[in-house]
Amino acid sequence: MTDSAMNSAGRQSLYEFRDVGLTLGGKLILNGIEITVRKGEILCIVGASGCGKTTLLRLAGGLYRPSQGSVLFDGAPMTMPRQDVAIIFQDYGRALLPWRTATGNVALALEAAKVPAAERKGRIEASLAKVGLADHADKYPTEMSGGMQQRLQIARCLAQEPQALLMDEPFGALDAMTRQSLQDETLALHADSGATIIFVTHDLEEAIYLGDRVIGLLPHPGRVGIEIDVHLPRPRSQLATREEPEFLRLRRELFDFIEKSEGHR
Amino acid sequence: MSSDRLKGLILPALAVLAFEIWLRAFPIASDALAPPSAAVMALAQGLADGSVLLATRDTLLGAIIGLGIGSSIGLLLGVLTGLLPPLDRLLEVSIESIRPIPSVALLPIGLMVFGFGYALEFSIVAKTCLFATLILTRSAVRGVEPRLMEVARALRLSPFARVTKIVLPAALPQIFVAFRLAAGAALIVAVTVEITINPQGLGHAMMTAQQALRPDVMLGYLLWIGIVGFLWNAALLLAQRHLFGRAAVSEAMR
Amino acid sequence: MTPLAQISWRIASFAFAASLVVAWQLVANAQLISPIFLPGPDRAWAALVNGFTDRGLGGKLVGTLRHMTFGWLAASIAAIALGSLIGSSRRARIYVAPSLEFLRPLPVSAIIPVAIALYGLSEGMAIFVIAFGTLWPMLLATIQGYAGVEPRLLEVARALNLSRLETVTKISLPSAMPDILAGMRVSLTVALILSVVCEIVAGLDGLGQWILISARMFRSPDLFAGVILLGAVGYLAAAIIAEVERRLLAWRKTH
Ligand SMILES: Nc1ncnc2c1ncn2[C@@H]1O[C@H](COP(=O)(O)OP(=O)(O)OP(=O)(O)O)[C@@H](O)[C@H]1O
Ligand SMILES: [Mg+2]
Repeated sequence: MTDSAMNSAGRQSLYEFRDVGLTLGGKLILNGIEITVRKGEILCIVGASGCGKTTLLRLAGGLYRPSQGSVLFDGAPMTMPRQDVAIIFQDYGRALLPWRTATGNVALALEAAKVPAAERKGRIEASLAKVGLADHADKYPTEMSGGMQQRLQIARCLAQEPQALLMDEPFGALDAMTRQSLQDETLALHADSGATIIFVTHDLEEAIYLGDRVIGLLPHPGRVGIEIDVHLPRPRSQLATREEPEFLRLRRELFDFIEKSEGHR
Repeated sequence: MSSDRLKGLILPALAVLAFEIWLRAFPIASDALAPPSAAVMALAQGLADGSVLLATRDTLLGAIIGLGIGSSIGLLLGVLTGLLPPLDRLLEVSIESIRPIPSVALLPIGLMVFGFGYALEFSIVAKTCLFATLILTRSAVRGVEPRLMEVARALRLSPFARVTKIVLPAALPQIFVAFRLAAGAALIVAVTVEITINPQGLGHAMMTAQQALRPDVMLGYLLWIGIVGFLWNAALLLAQRHLFGRAAVSEAMR
Repeated sequence: MTPLAQISWRIASFAFAASLVVAWQLVANAQLISPIFLPGPDRAWAALVNGFTDRGLGGKLVGTLRHMTFGWLAASIAAIALGSLIGSSRRARIYVAPSLEFLRPLPVSAIIPVAIALYGLSEGMAIFVIAFGTLWPMLLATIQGYAGVEPRLLEVARALNLSRLETVTKISLPSAMPDILAGMRVSLTVALILSVVCEIVAGLDGLGQWILISARMFRSPDLFAGVILLGAVGYLAAAIIAEVERRLLAWRKTH
């Protein structure tokens, strides 16, 4: 852990969690969190259910303020949500406006950012195209499949042109096929935009497949239990990457960690 | 939670207090209005000499008997149209052309036919309750879980047994909701009929007090009508919870 | 059901209603019920036409429509504005909602004597009664609509840094719209009933007064003409607001 804004890889850090603790309803949920997120990396967070992953992400999004320590974004404390930090919720069905079409839902982000009306159309089309919804611009969320709804939420977040994307188990509720294609689309979007991604997931393989690093949390209270670097070559591929010995080794390591942490209770 | 309930009382308490102070400080408007304390006094006196209770009896009688007549016809028609789609389609135009007639519009007809009195009130209350019960019962019967109907068929129940053993028990909680809503409307309509034309009951007593320039008595009756309405609805809700509490819970677990 | 079967059923349904009218005519012709009470549909229809051409029934209709829409519109605007203020704050809801819940089941017509005491037998009295009587249910519906806004959407609003006003106009109000419109639909029926009652009680220009006078003078064809007209008003009012609901809430049906 270094105090400087530079890390060992020589890239600047975007987020710094410094000894962060959070108490909610009189209960200590997170304690002593020290995490540095580098600019442009994909950091995955795993951990048993209820260990505080969502809470950590909400701190990063400025939806909660730490009761102890500080969350720094670009060197300044994160006190409220920012235009250039986008949050993708797991329950996409509830996070979309059912009375607006796909276009309207993406427009919301631009309206919030006070983008002039003349500029909006092009940016909406671009965002929808990036997630493959160009042909569904006039559909209402209820007319879309789960995968399309989650793509729409991602499109709305992309329209914010965020520096950081915070994703909370975004693909947890989708079927295996859809999940794999969205994973690859996420990687492509990341390569394309260079945004920093914090990705919370239950799925250990997903974490390794996507991440540059994976952090495992221990429960009660939530704290960092393991931190591993993923040295798998990019671009990654669903078949080849998942068969690499390094992939299998990391999977084993994380699996043992989770099993041990569940025994902790 | 109970502190939330107390908070709900603050606003009405303040309103009553402000009203009281305002009317005590400026007694000019006293022909039309009276301070809450005077209304409470008038109500207490009316309760003591029995006049309020007599009027209450008339109003409740009008509401209950009208409700009884209207909701039984509505229940019967609702179950029939719910069970037999062809019948429902056949009656649709007739029902939908009578239903939107506001029940008070039938007052003058009732007046010509029955004259003043109970029968007038029964008929108007019954019209309201009939349609309220009919519509909701029909949708309750139609909403019976199709799986249950399949079970009935698999068990080779007779049509009669299907209705008595499956449809009615399954739709009963919803039918009671229909009844409760109709009952709420019954009291409202009874009071309305009395205020409009019929010289009996609480509504008429209130009108008489207004004409006699006794705002305290009038507001006392208003308060009493509020209390009766509240108790009437509370009793119905209680009955619903008591009768169907368990059914409702198992409904939610499914 | 095939479209053909649907149309056939519609026709059958109309035929059944027509046969009821015919039965009514036969009963009236046979004088099973004294014609003083029961005119045949032919006489009722004639009275309706005649009423419009030279007895000023149209004016009465306009009177009723005026009372009902003025009072209802005033109450709608007040309910949406006030309801949005109260509804968008959880704290305000806790203080106000119980009072409204208490007021809801009460017979609103009981306010009529009070309104007469305050305003006399005037048109202002009628509009006050209608506005007062329809305000509470709509206010309650609006507040409930706001209380039911998906919390996740409010979080989206926070994450996007929407201002409070934007959150209301873009998130909460559209989300509460189904409840608000349902409240407005119920209230419109109440408004019609209260108009008729006020017109009867205060002798105001309107259909309520028309039917009462017809009954008092035992002119049953006129009476039935008025009742039929009131049924038509009730039907059209419900149809119009149902259409508005269908248009505004089109997003809800698509599935
Ligand atoms: N507002 C709150 N008040 C009190 N406790 C809370 C609150 N929000 C979350 N918690 C508690 O904090 C703990 C962590 O919750 P969190 O939602 O962050 O877990 P999670 O790791 O995301 O779990 P999952 O994998 O099931 O999504 C849980 O025990 C939860 O009960
Ligand atoms: Mg979570």
